[in-house]
Amino acid sequence: MTGFDFGAIVNSFPYLAKGMQLSLLLTGLSALGSIVLGTILALMRLSGVRLFQWVGATWVNFFRSLPLLLVIFWFYFLVPVIAQRQVDAFQSALIGFVLFEAAYYCEIMRSGILSISRGQAWAGYALGLRYSQAMRFIVLPQAFRNMLPVLLTQTIILFQDTSLVFVVGLADFMTSAVTVAQRDGRLFELYVFCALVYFVMCYGASLYVKNLQKKIHR
Amino acid sequence: MIDIQNVSKWYGHFQVLKDCTSRVDKGEVVVICGPSGSGKSTLIKCVNGLEPFQEGVITVNGVSVGAAETDLPKLRSHIGMVFQNFELFPHKRAIENITLAQTKVLGRTPDEAVARGQKLLDRVGLGDLGHKYPSELSGGQQQRVAIARALAMDPIAMLFDEPTSALDPEMINEVLDVMQELARDGMTMMVVTHEMGFARRVADRVIFMDEGEIVEDATKDDFFGTPRSERAQLFLSKILHH
Repeated sequence: MTGFDFGAIVNSFPYLAKGMQLSLLLTGLSALGSIVLGTILALMRLSGVRLFQWVGATWVNFFRSLPLLLVIFWFYFLVPVIAQRQVDAFQSALIGFVLFEAAYYCEIMRSGILSISRGQAWAGYALGLRYSQAMRFIVLPQAFRNMLPVLLTQTIILFQDTSLVFVVGLADFMTSAVTVAQRDGRLFELYVFCALVYFVMCYGASLYVKNLQKKIHR
Repeated sequence: MIDIQNVSKWYGHFQVLKDCTSRVDKGEVVVICGPSGSGKSTLIKCVNGLEPFQEGVITVNGVSVGAAETDLPKLRSHIGMVFQNFELFPHKRAIENITLAQTKVLGRTPDEAVARGQKLLDRVGLGDLGHKYPSELSGGQQQRVAIARALAMDPIAMLFDEPTSALDPEMINEVLDVMQELARDGMTMMVVTHEMGFARRVADRVIFMDEGEIVEDATKDDFFGTPRSERAQLFLSKILHH
């Protein structure tokens, strides 16, 4: 091994970029799915219906008590059994992430909804809006806006966590870097590069969120 | 029009409304006053079902508010309500505040809704502020938008829950003027307020509440002339002489 070989990174760049593409796609789809599911769970927890409250609370407590790694494994082996057919690793990972992250987004949306005064929903009801309309047009847009920085922060964490798909052999950015590192015997270069990329992206995104937070709470 | 019969309400063991009975006829303006915590805001919120009540019957235009088979959203769409804290939707422009329920509840087209909204903004003297967000408006302006928002539904009655309590003194009159004009146009109104000047000028009847009870329900002249109850006299002396 002679010094830091940039060539090792440059040569494998297209492969790594493809990995990053997968990481971002998985993050984006997972975030989208789990924010939707999380919002539904939050509405269930806040509803007056005992059964819904129980389902929402149980979901949150269940998934927050499990290691994410276990959940990814679980769905990798479980989903094909349930679906009775081969399911590719990306799909099973996506399902695992959505169900798992929904527990966290649920709690964020719940506090977001609670931050909107009761009078706002009342004003909607007084105009003749139904529960679903009052939520959709009045409460949720405001809750979402108030919680946007926290939602994005959770999504940054989600982005980092997608690296765990390494265990099911999905070629995300991290896994691709590991593959190249081992193939070329360039562990040091690739791991340093990998760390740098994650750091720059996540730190950059967190700075953006900080800025956004200031804007929203101005 | 609005008929309140033997209504009682509890929060847990605490009784907030005690056997309240009254009515508001078509075109009538009824002012509800009383010390804070006397249940007047709760009573007015029972009228459109925002607050549930355990006993008694409230009917609006013959429809029972508390009945399980009543389509509450539909009933509410006919009853305008104005809140103490305006409750404009902060993420929507003034005009959007007024058009939202028109399109979603009444099924008007966006063009119709905007036209109606603009007319009402003109009427409350805010014709050129429709594009502003609530946070860009003063309290008095916000409350006038809120009144326009309620009127856009062509309500058969209007409920006002302390519409001027959250306003700076110099803005109170611009809101009261709009309300007075509404009353003059024959709107049926139920108004919770401490503005006794408004009650004197506009009200047909005054209801005085204390500790969840309707202590006095009298015509305006009787109420301000010779309130019978000691509690009403005490309240009036406190509110009028300071």
